[in-house]
Amino acid sequence: MSQQPQTISINDLDISQLADIKKQLEEELNHLTSSFAQLKQAQAKFKSCIDNITEVKPQNKDKVILVPLTNSLYVPGKLSDVDNVIVDIGTGYFVKKTRPQAIKYYKGKVDYIKTNLNALEETIGKKRENLNYLVSALQSKLQNQPETTKS
Amino acid sequence: MSLAIRLQSASSDFQKLQASMAETVDVRQKLEAQLSENELVKKELANVTPENIVYKQIGSVLVKQDLTDAKSTVETRLEFIKSEIKRIEVQLKEIEGKQEKKKQEVS
Repeated sequence: MSQQPQTISINDLDISQLADIKKQLEEELNHLTSSFAQLKQAQAKFKSCIDNITEVKPQNKDKVILVPLTNSLYVPGKLSDVDNVIVDIGTGYFVKKTRPQAIKYYKGKVDYIKTNLNALEETIGKKRENLNYLVSALQSKLQNQPETTKS
Repeated sequence: MSLAIRLQSASSDFQKLQASMAETVDVRQKLEAQLSENELVKKELANVTPENIVYKQIGSVLVKQDLTDAKSTVETRLEFIKSEIKRIEVQLKEIEGKQEKKKQEVS
């Protein structure tokens, strides 16, 4: 959307217009990088889910664990079912899955996020390039005509 | 003098339009997020085998639910969200048109 006017007519724009575009690009870039960080976080969460599932193994059956009731209140409990876990699949639905199934589910999630991350990374790179190009154009403009454009 | 007043009222109208535009865009984004979440749930429910039990969260309790029920609920939700998105799209177009008109009025 914003690529064409930049590449075609960047030299025809005056300084205030360039500054506007720069601001817009910076905002977009900020938004994208924060999305990137959020995705990373989500990915880490799913990864830790996988780690947790691997801990629910048959060797740990009947071992005492602490079950969190709230963030700061725990009660002791025993691990009775080591074969199944209940997975949150979103919008209030949960599915009881066997451990391999659950691991597969989370792996799928991690991969899904990974493809998104890659796509996002590429977009961020492109935006950054655009921004750099724009900034250099803006600077050369400022150097070439410092007197005439003072408003 | 009256020109100045007209300009002022036009620009304040324009600002209002911009605000409502931002609001609708926001709503649309939320709907979009809900849509993709429900799509994912639908995909996941399609993978469920008979030995997997489906639960639905009601408040803070998990209640067992029939798979076909869950599927149809998600399906109706998807339909609803899609129709909402269509409605919002129309709204966006309307606001855009009004904005364009105001813009011409101002300039």
